[in-house]
Amino acid sequence: MLAVHPSAPAIDGVDAVPTLDRAVDLALISVPSVRAEVAVADAAGAGAGAAIVLSSGFGEAGPEGKAAQDRLSQVARDAGMRLVGPNCMGVVSHLGDGRWLNGSYFWAVPSVPGGLSFVSQSGAFGGMFFAHLRSSGRGLSRFLSVGNAADVGSTDALEWLGDDPQTTAIGMFIEGIGDGRRFVDVARRITPHKPVVVLKAGKERAGARAAASHTGSMAGSHTAVRAAFRRAGILEATDTDEFFGLIDSVDSNLAPVKRVAVVTISGGPSVLAADAAERAGFELPSLADSTLDRLRSLVPDFAAVGNPIDLTPQCPPANFVEAIEAVYRDPAIEGVIAINCGLDFVEFGQGVARGVAATGKPTTGFVLDAPRVAAAMTGAGVLLSASPERAVVALQMGARR
Amino acid sequence: MTPLTETESKRRLGSTLPTPEEVLAASVAEAEAFCSAIGEPVVAKASGVAHKTEGNLVRLGVTAEAMAGVFEELAAAGDGSVLLARQVKADVELIVGGYRDETFGPVVTVGIGGVAAELFGDIVAILAPPEPGEVAEAVATLRGASLLAGVRGRPPLDIASLEVVVTAVSDLLLADPGVVEIDCNPVMVEDGQAVVVDALVVVV
Repeated sequence: MLAVHPSAPAIDGVDAVPTLDRAVDLALISVPSVRAEVAVADAAGAGAGAAIVLSSGFGEAGPEGKAAQDRLSQVARDAGMRLVGPNCMGVVSHLGDGRWLNGSYFWAVPSVPGGLSFVSQSGAFGGMFFAHLRSSGRGLSRFLSVGNAADVGSTDALEWLGDDPQTTAIGMFIEGIGDGRRFVDVARRITPHKPVVVLKAGKERAGARAAASHTGSMAGSHTAVRAAFRRAGILEATDTDEFFGLIDSVDSNLAPVKRVAVVTISGGPSVLAADAAERAGFELPSLADSTLDRLRSLVPDFAAVGNPIDLTPQCPPANFVEAIEAVYRDPAIEGVIAINCGLDFVEFGQGVARGVAATGKPTTGFVLDAPRVAAAMTGAGVLLSASPERAVVALQMGARR
Repeated sequence: MTPLTETESKRRLGSTLPTPEEVLAASVAEAEAFCSAIGEPVVAKASGVAHKTEGNLVRLGVTAEAMAGVFEELAAAGDGSVLLARQVKADVELIVGGYRDETFGPVVTVGIGGVAAELFGDIVAILAPPEPGEVAEAVATLRGASLLAGVRGRPPLDIASLEVVVTAVSDLLLADPGVVEIDCNPVMVEDGQAVVVDALVVVV
């Protein structure tokens, strides 16, 4: 790694030179926009396969900026070098064996390897994506912020990720799709073997419309987008919550379920989860008599063993494991939503882990301020969400696939 | 942009387009002959006029006896001829349309029609040309899809008959870049078969 800077001898412990004087594979360019063209040419001269231009002040800044951006692309194209950006937040990539490339402006980037990759037309939404990975403990494969997409666009990135063996699921935040039919053709080759989840923000501009026709007045700006996504097999999220729910669901490979149990020792939040589950079309069946008998022998007599199943904080912790496993083994239950707010009895998490191991039933959860419980559940591959309702959405998204 | 007449619009959409038996009558005598051939009553529409419904230029339930008066009135409001058609008995009304999306190019839309069509905005699109199974898949996502499964004991929509209409719209969009927009409205579902009662093609 080498820094290039006009005056500094080193940057953050990395040796700096005033001009790029040796061959490199990749150039990260973060300079004022007026200097970027020279820097891109330097990178091309040094044999870089790709340059990531993080600098702003190009196509987003008006006609002069657009002209400067076109010159960047021309320099890159002439040299056979790919260009990411400009005006982007960069690239983060797991290189394998725990080695990471952080070619981005983000301070806090993931360090957990995973199969999920993400392409964003918004740098800020990229920050939301990383925050979600942090809070859910999920891993990352690749991240790419395309910025103004002077050369590498969302569709190019999607195509590459489709062929990337390290990537098992793809998320995209898209504001505009320039090359509509190519996007559909690329995506439909990927979706049969690798889920693609898209959050599409903003309205497409309407083409020529005749005011005289009903079709013109009824077809909204999103009508054709839905047609395109349906043909491409894309999972479309309608809002941020649904996007992260779908991302979690495809990343966890949750199977679709219909009849669920809400298991908890936290009353109120579990009722919220049960309400959300019913709204989402889940059934919350009663447990079998044999399961109820087993539960009553393990939990206080004031515990609610309907559904939600509130074992109560007064339940002897050692009994959580068997009680929760009994719920998992009930034949009426296909999936579980586990809710724990601030009661860090590790046995609760162990019960969920035992149930998952014994039955493989899809599980999502919401755990707040209970680190040992959270660790036990994530260790069993359980998907944790940021609220009781999101835990429901995450399980529901399995059913959409 | 120029809206074509109903007759010309249907002609552009091709001979596969399922329409009710109809005739462009140039005289009262021709109109009366159509009535006796097809059975009464019939629908009479002014020819060569856009927005016929809004202009009260569509008459339902016209008998042979009333034809002379209706003919005179509609002929005067239009181009001198009167379009006559068998009166279709619809279980459900659809709107099948076509337009060019800036990002995805030509698309065909299918929506629930009727007086509240624009209120509900229940519409889906299919990229042109449709692929096998796509029309059925798209229509199933309409909020009003259950209307097409057969309401009150009526037969369900034969999806193949709708596919013929969708394909006609798609073919015209793909064949003629001068076509801006297409409306088949209403498309009536009669005994499970889609029948295009009126059509409008808008060209540049």
